[in-house]
Amino acid sequence: MLMDKSDNILNRARFIAVISGVFTALVSILLIFNYVQISLYDPLDSQVMKQMVARLSSEPGNEELIREIRQMDLLARRAYFNSLWQLRTGAALLLAGAITLIVSLRFIHRQDTHIEKPEGNNINEKQVRIRSQKWIAATGMIIILLAVLSALFSSNHLRQFDTERLADTASVDEEDGIEKLQISSRVAGDDPVGEPADEPEEETGEVVETISRITMADLNENHNSLRGPLGHGITPHSNLPLNWDGETGENILWKTEIEVHGYNSPVIWEDRMFFSGANDQRRVVYCLDRHSGVLLWEREATDITGSPSVPPETTDDTGLAAPSLTTDPYGVYAIFGTGDIIAFSHHGERLWARNLGVPENHYGHSSSLITWDGKVFVQYDTAAGSRLLALDVADGSTVWETPRDNDISWASPILIEQDGSMRLIVLSNPNLDAYDIDNGEQLWSVDCMSGEVGPSPAYGGGLVYAANEYATMVAVDPSDGSIVWEDRYYLPEVSSPVYHDGYLYIATTYAVLACFDAQTGDFIWEFDGEDRFYSSPVIAEGRIYAFDTSGRAYIIEPGDEPVLVSSPDLGDPIYSTPVFADGKLYIRSNTHVYCIGDN
Amino acid sequence: MPEIIKTAGDSIRKNIFLLTGILLLLLFIVPGSASAQQQRFPMPEFQTGYELPDTDRPEPRAPGMEIFDLAVLVLVLAFTTWLVLKRRSRKLVFWTSVFALLYFGFYRNGCICPIGGVQNVSLALFGDGYILSLTVLAFFVIPLFVTLFAGRIFCASACPLGVIQDLVIIKPVKLPQWLQRTLGLIPFIFLGFAVLYAATGTTFIICRYDPFVGIFRMGASFSMAILGVSFLAAGIFVARPYCRFLCPYGAILRVFSIFSSRHMSITPEECINCKLCEDSCPFDAIDYPNDEKKNRATKADYRRFVFYSAAIPVLIIAGALAVSGSYKLLSKVHPDVYLANLLVEDPGMMYESDMTEIETFMASDRTLEMLVADATEVQSRFRRGGYYLGGFLGLLIGLSLTQQVTFRKRTIYEVNRGSCYSCGRCMEYCPVGKPDHPYHKEDNNNHS
Repeated sequence: MLMDKSDNILNRARFIAVISGVFTALVSILLIFNYVQISLYDPLDSQVMKQMVARLSSEPGNEELIREIRQMDLLARRAYFNSLWQLRTGAALLLAGAITLIVSLRFIHRQDTHIEKPEGNNINEKQVRIRSQKWIAATGMIIILLAVLSALFSSNHLRQFDTERLADTASVDEEDGIEKLQISSRVAGDDPVGEPADEPEEETGEVVETISRITMADLNENHNSLRGPLGHGITPHSNLPLNWDGETGENILWKTEIEVHGYNSPVIWEDRMFFSGANDQRRVVYCLDRHSGVLLWEREATDITGSPSVPPETTDDTGLAAPSLTTDPYGVYAIFGTGDIIAFSHHGERLWARNLGVPENHYGHSSSLITWDGKVFVQYDTAAGSRLLALDVADGSTVWETPRDNDISWASPILIEQDGSMRLIVLSNPNLDAYDIDNGEQLWSVDCMSGEVGPSPAYGGGLVYAANEYATMVAVDPSDGSIVWEDRYYLPEVSSPVYHDGYLYIATTYAVLACFDAQTGDFIWEFDGEDRFYSSPVIAEGRIYAFDTSGRAYIIEPGDEPVLVSSPDLGDPIYSTPVFADGKLYIRSNTHVYCIGDN
Repeated sequence: MPEIIKTAGDSIRKNIFLLTGILLLLLFIVPGSASAQQQRFPMPEFQTGYELPDTDRPEPRAPGMEIFDLAVLVLVLAFTTWLVLKRRSRKLVFWTSVFALLYFGFYRNGCICPIGGVQNVSLALFGDGYILSLTVLAFFVIPLFVTLFAGRIFCASACPLGVIQDLVIIKPVKLPQWLQRTLGLIPFIFLGFAVLYAATGTTFIICRYDPFVGIFRMGASFSMAILGVSFLAAGIFVARPYCRFLCPYGAILRVFSIFSSRHMSITPEECINCKLCEDSCPFDAIDYPNDEKKNRATKADYRRFVFYSAAIPVLIIAGALAVSGSYKLLSKVHPDVYLANLLVEDPGMMYESDMTEIETFMASDRTLEMLVADATEVQSRFRRGGYYLGGFLGLLIGLSLTQQVTFRKRTIYEVNRGSCYSCGRCMEYCPVGKPDHPYHKEDNNNHS
């Protein structure tokens, strides 16, 4: 009787196990079915919905269609949340079924099992030990082998980044041989790479910060401003490439796509290359590793007090990022067509930023920055008034500001050394001016120019040169501001003149490269390019490097007669000016930055 | 010696196991499919002025409740210790473990637990600026302390991960000894890697690859759901597979338990070598009496012992050099190293990729240079940590090999203190001190 009862309970347990097993199986199947259904029908990928949305773009006012789309969207969402409910409920039912099944199985197993005498083990412990040794040793070998293989064959792209070199660069300020300069505007305790200094800081407290002063040796090593050292368009670098081909990639060492366009030319400080880009949404400063083309950082010029919420209108051929940046050991400085000027450390930390007032300029502000002696010089010639500013590189505060009386100018300032002092040469309509960089005092002014001035001045052979299309070309003695000669035969519109070895070269927008005697202004020769010149010619290794707007370069041995060394074609329109360093040529197109060098 | 006959299973039982097999197959697919259905629908694009509500962020558990959790843990451990050492009741240990599963597992969602606590402690010891909560520290330390006193009581009843596996043990099979000993290395290896990844601030791999937390929370990723169900399915036949062959905290407890001052014993008095307990342990944690003659150490064993002992320093050095050298691969688990490698290899991804990691990086204030600098620092930490990990693994292999040539004479059945979970199953089988045990009845019948 007792046996019958026990069997009865066991049978019930078995019955429960079968029922719970079948139930669990059914729930599982339903959940799988639900999964397959949802996988096959992705509500986000509904063709009907896509068609309706496409129709809406052509019929934006169709209220009926909007209502239908909303209905469809609502249905899809209901289906989704319904499936979620099914999922949760199914999972709960599945768990309940599985628990019931496990409990009943355990019960059955326990009832069916009695303590019994084991059949006895025949374990040969010796053999077990020997086999264990083999397997443990094999495990050890496998671990070491895998580790060695991974050490040998796993990649580490971080090495390409060459952080050691970057670290060396980061510590450049501490190296010997670079003159240190006390600056006056950083307060004790301030973090030089801390919060942005939107407003110039006041000179209070203990002066503790030092920065490196640029020397001419630095400039000869670094292409730190538009047209290289002092903006003269002459580079001391050698072993430069003479041939390349954009189509085949010959001698193109790297090419990096840039997301936000700008017409400015890159500048270089040691291993880093800086340039900017801007559109209505973003104003960006980029930093590339110039050896690899890897983007080291990009920073946006945002949160600047006084910056306009809507940028001023500019023309497509100028834009908001036409001015080239300038850089020194302390940082990199960029100005945009919004009037925002911003500084970053070489590592991308924001140093300071301010707005100079939105420039009234119908094409867009394009005067590039240049730096010397701890100051960034800004030629800010606008329709609402013109001025020349020197900003402290440390915090952006105004060291001096000199009002100017001239029209808008698109030219950039250059620096010249005279009588042991550095002068700032600035061109506009109607004046060519010289300023003392220490206090902004105007040293001389020549009324010689007219029109919309784009080309920047040039310097060489003891004379300053200025030229502009539909106006004139003049040579001025910088000691007293007197005009030495004047000529109107060939004139540049955008590209700036360059002096070399007694000759003055200009590149025109009608594809002519012309040579003049720098002392007399006599015309020497002309060379016809294939397309217009916007990019300024640069003298490197005694040769002229000039890019036309089609992307073809003309490398010319100058002198009494032009000798075309080569005319490699990049195949990418060029408006910027080439940059040189360590046997390499860098050039920016509208979409890319290229590094060209002999492979 | 009496013969106790085992009842043969009938055909229904066979069918039930077949059904179980089919269900297991289904269970492989279902959780994954279930998890794949979540989080697919984007937020609607409202154009009606509707304002989205703020995202609810759950408050951290109140300090009072954390202390309550700790109190529950202490009570469970104390009660189980008493049950195992004094009361010797498997039944009560079982129900206590069910309570712990419900509380620490399903109610507390499997968190916090001492297993993951290994990583918190490692990060606090080696990481920068990580502050270890006292509750986490207590959860980590208390089971260790109890283990030193009474063996692996935590595994017996307080660990939800262990208990959920314990409940599904239905038809345990014995694994070959050599396999168990080899697989038994894995928890130590896992522990080493868990400490390395936690100490370098990379990730908590124990938590990331916790196979059961998804079951406790009723939600898991596809892969983890598959993993959890796989462990439970395997656990029907291979008892507590996670505990025996993976759990890194179990590896620590194993060592502590060997040195425990007291431990659960199969028999309350003197073992009578009835052999009944021989098959009682589903975890193969019972050491049998051995034949001294057959298992006596030979000259070859002595030579091996000397060789293995001498090899330990070599293994430590080789392991240290090899694992340290593999820092490039190991460190790629770290998000910074992974992302930096990706972006340095292909900078264009910064603009072209819609990877969340890249988008987040681009939206941050960090520069690529900063990222690479951080990643390089992480790699150097991995290189340093690799020395310790490799050395530890070399030591582990060396000691394990040495252990295989050391012999210990056993004349009775006794629990292996390192492997025993103190679950008390074997106590049920032991007839000593149980006049009503079938062993005595059969014995009497044979003598009458």
